[in-house]
Amino acid sequence: MFQLFGNAIGQVVAISILVGAGLPALFAFGIRALASGAGGTAEVSGDAGRPAMKLVAWICFALVIAVIAVGLSVIISSGFGYRVSFDNIFPTFIKK
Amino acid sequence: MLLLILVIGTAIAFDFTNGFHDTGNAMATSIATGALKPKTAVTLSAVLNLIGAFLSVEVALTVTNAVIRIQDSSGAPRPEFLANNGHELLMIVFCGLIGGIVWNLLTWLLGLPSSSSHALFGGMIGATLAALGIGGVNWMGDGTKLDGVVGKVILPAFASPVVAALVATIGTWLVFRITAGVAERYAESGFRWGQIGTASLVSLAHGTNDAQKTMGVITLALIAYGSWTDTHNVPTWVKVACAFAIAAGTYTGGWRIIRTLGKGLVEISSPQGMAAEASSAAVILTSSHLGFALSTTHVATGSILGSGLGKRGADVRWGVAMRMVLAWFITLPAAGLVGALCFWLGNGIGGYAGPLLVFAILLGLTGWMIAHSRKTAVHAGNVNEEWRAESKPGASVPAETVATKA
Repeated sequence: MFQLFGNAIGQVVAISILVGAGLPALFAFGIRALASGAGGTAEVSGDAGRPAMKLVAWICFALVIAVIAVGLSVIISSGFGYRVSFDNIFPTFIKK
Repeated sequence: MLLLILVIGTAIAFDFTNGFHDTGNAMATSIATGALKPKTAVTLSAVLNLIGAFLSVEVALTVTNAVIRIQDSSGAPRPEFLANNGHELLMIVFCGLIGGIVWNLLTWLLGLPSSSSHALFGGMIGATLAALGIGGVNWMGDGTKLDGVVGKVILPAFASPVVAALVATIGTWLVFRITAGVAERYAESGFRWGQIGTASLVSLAHGTNDAQKTMGVITLALIAYGSWTDTHNVPTWVKVACAFAIAAGTYTGGWRIIRTLGKGLVEISSPQGMAAEASSAAVILTSSHLGFALSTTHVATGSILGSGLGKRGADVRWGVAMRMVLAWFITLPAAGLVGALCFWLGNGIGGYAGPLLVFAILLGLTGWMIAHSRKTAVHAGNVNEEWRAESKPGASVPAETVATKA
């Protein structure tokens, strides 16, 4: 019983740290890049903005949204009897 | 027939308290940081709970199997309970639900977030002990998988706040590391969007996890009574009723609990709020996807604590946290005691009078608790007032309200 529980909780810890702490970190990178892009009062240093960083910021945000979307579709589709396959790199729905 | 109607009514009432008790798990941090206005937050959460409830198509008919032995593995009631239109099974479920509702309302009155699923399981265990004795409870399962009171309730309860706190601590620490150098006001406004997104995920997860428990209980009652036979599907009206009950409960907003979670544990900023909700969403969704659902409440509380631990110089009010943990310890036995007392009383009197009397007691207790809550009302207007240190549970209410009522 305890071993089974240890295995299950270990998996939850691993995935949760990856997603639950990794995505906020990625989002934070986005915020930082956005601030760097805006410059001026957005940063403590008050340096001039570097507009190219805004692109980096939006790539970060887009990645966060994409990971959430894939995660949700994995969970919801399994409820409807489908699984998500990454065989073709792009996620596709396959009936279980 | 009367008993069946009472069971369905109390099940829907339980579902309502479930939504109402757990609004704070998703929305407390967004309300506390001002990312969302209180009313907007509960509305958003209610809508997402509603959607979540309809997305949960996996049949939760075997929900009681985790802790008690009144169903077989397909979800059908055990044949020995089918006598007299399933009277005994309906009584067990009825009293278990009452135990859950009473405990949910009492902890709400005290402003303590406690697990609604533990309250439900506690009530069921109590009623089963009263009805069938020790053998009616599934303590450990057969040892081949995580099962029973120990495997599905007690072990997860110890682990989930720790796991959530760990993830949120790491997340918060990373976020503050990465955004060092960004002006605080600029970061605050950016992270508010992240907060709204992550809080929405927690609401959605709550709807998918919790509404189906009540759906399973009602369907079990219908099968026991003999008016439904399909163990693979939930009747549509049950699904709709449960989805709307949990959404309505969420919309009503358990403001007392929102206040404790949002203001009582940690003074929270929006980067912390986002890290906390991201941790909650990740832990809840992964655990339920892997087949052992953790209590939303335990996870959310752990995450909020973690967001305090991960920020240098942040205060965590351990006194408030300890009072919550104490409430978690007694949730199972307390809801169980109510369930057992209801069963003894209702079954002792028997006939229709027994369950009706028990139902009347439930209504009376509910009325008393609501009346009592009015004395120190917490609502959308004052939920964010300054938290006064070392206040008693009933007094953890804004100063202004106390002054006007005194």
